[in-house]
Amino acid sequence: MKELFALAGRQLRRKKLRVFLIVLGIAIGVAAVIGVTALGEGIRVQAVEQIKASHDLTTIEVSAGAEAGNVTLITESKIKAIKQEEHVLFGAPYVKDSYVTQNNTYLAVKGVTPEYRGIHSNLELERGNWFDESTHSNYTQIVLGYDVAKRLAVTEDLGVGDEFVAKIRLYGEEGPPRDRSTALKIAGILESAGDEHDNQVFVGITEAMEMDEKDAYDGLLVKVDDPAFVASVREKIEEIGLNAQSAQDVIDEVNRLMVAVTLVLGFFSGISLVVGALMVVNTMIISVYERTKEIGLSKALGASDLDIMKIFLAECLIIGVMGGILGDLLGIGFSVVIDLVGKPFLISTLGGELGASLQSGSITAITPSILAVGFAISLVLSIVSGLYPARRAARLSPLDALRQI
Amino acid sequence: MTVETKGLTKYYWMGTGKVVALEDVDLKIEEGGFISIVGPSGSGKSTLLNILGCLDSPTKGKVFLDGAQVDYRNKKSLVILRRKFVGFVFQTFNLIPALNAVENVEYPMYFNKPLKSKSERKEKAMKLLALVGLEKRANHLPSELSGGEQQRIAIARAFANDPKLILADEPTGNLDSVTGRSILDLLTRLNNEERMTIIMVTHDFESAKRMGTVIRILDGRIQQQER
Repeated sequence: MKELFALAGRQLRRKKLRVFLIVLGIAIGVAAVIGVTALGEGIRVQAVEQIKASHDLTTIEVSAGAEAGNVTLITESKIKAIKQEEHVLFGAPYVKDSYVTQNNTYLAVKGVTPEYRGIHSNLELERGNWFDESTHSNYTQIVLGYDVAKRLAVTEDLGVGDEFVAKIRLYGEEGPPRDRSTALKIAGILESAGDEHDNQVFVGITEAMEMDEKDAYDGLLVKVDDPAFVASVREKIEEIGLNAQSAQDVIDEVNRLMVAVTLVLGFFSGISLVVGALMVVNTMIISVYERTKEIGLSKALGASDLDIMKIFLAECLIIGVMGGILGDLLGIGFSVVIDLVGKPFLISTLGGELGASLQSGSITAITPSILAVGFAISLVLSIVSGLYPARRAARLSPLDALRQI
Repeated sequence: MTVETKGLTKYYWMGTGKVVALEDVDLKIEEGGFISIVGPSGSGKSTLLNILGCLDSPTKGKVFLDGAQVDYRNKKSLVILRRKFVGFVFQTFNLIPALNAVENVEYPMYFNKPLKSKSERKEKAMKLLALVGLEKRANHLPSELSGGEQQRIAIARAFANDPKLILADEPTGNLDSVTGRSILDLLTRLNNEERMTIIMVTHDFESAKRMGTVIRILDGRIQQQER
């Protein structure tokens, strides 16, 4: 085997320029695929990193399950069951309602427990206090999100400590909906959280449920001790018929999308590989012509068809190995160039937050598997391209081949 | 190796019609003999050599090598015969340009399995080079050697797999007369020392006569056989 390659190497060394050109042809194709794939991978990694940074990976968002027409509600007993699962730190149920002030300002209300704040740690008070559900009074204490507070200050001239009356519309099982009024007192105002909480009004969950007369929760946040156990806890939750989502879903979605995009781009950049393959076919056919006499001689000296085929395929394999190595190196070079040139371009085009998020780190990512695939492509390509010429060489009649001038 | 043919006939079909290359050739060559086949161009002497060397197949007739009939339809057995029993020497030397002298001599051993070790093969190739007096040229490429030297290396190569039959097609045809004579002397010496059958095609009747049995061939038929 070693000798076969030594022999093949000898043959290749006689036509260095030709071999270099084919190797370069294949390598450029491989490098194009590697560059595109590395870009796709780099953007994917960036996106996933961003999701990880902005999402709590240890929280599972539970909602009512609906399967085959059966609705499974989040009830007290279900929450109890979930809390007993291993790795579950705590659960924070909540209800969602919509109140309207006397001046027809709509308020998105969320009835929460103190644990809710344990999950959304970005909820900081700017003024006032969080409500204390243990103290009963004839009004309901509320905390306003940053934007709601601004709106109410402008439209209704309300601030911390002010009281006002709001209505909630209740839809019973039968009959027309009825409205119910309640007195609210603004206990505190939140700092800007930069998310949907800025438009939210918070109220204690017990009072909220008294108001809306619901007997099940609208949602439940489950905190798990480690991201690694999120999947298993999630499965348990789904087993009892509830719907569960986590940041992992978003990550999975991004992964799926980027893998698909990368595959499509990689496929099209791979078309350049066809050119490389044709070069190998062409060069090897020429080589068979040039060495017809040598092939006839080898057969006269006792070479079988298989021996001849092996010599030509060994040459292709060497070309493939060289193309793979050079392709990997060029591919790394390509991705560095994409990073240097493409990143500033992307940042300026995307602008804003998305662009700024690309600032750190690189937009391309070369992984060992990308390089391995690039190498393998080059190998397979050259062997497959060499099959036809090698077969052609092997099938030459020794006598005819020897007669060739 | 004894070589025997019975009713050996070869036709070629070329454009307008049938060309007779060999017609009903009966031949018997004893082991260790040195036979020269002489005849003008197109007399069929090279065709005879190619058929005996399993490179070509007859239209009719039989060939026996060491008493065993050659099956020309069995490609694999032909490969084995060429590999193990036959050594070729060509008019145009046919060395592989990419390989140096000793590698050219080793080349047929590469195909002859079971493979001996690389070092054993090289050692044997060096011995063969010494036999033809070219051990000092071992690392030269064919392009760096004279015609006579190339043909000596080709002869060493023909001996690589210890063949029982050497087939030489005009081995001196591309050489000047002095060099040609030294090549013939070499073949005679090897024939005497190694005791293998040598069949040589030539158009040089005078030198052929000195070597041993001469077979004259004309229009595909054996005309006479003389010692």
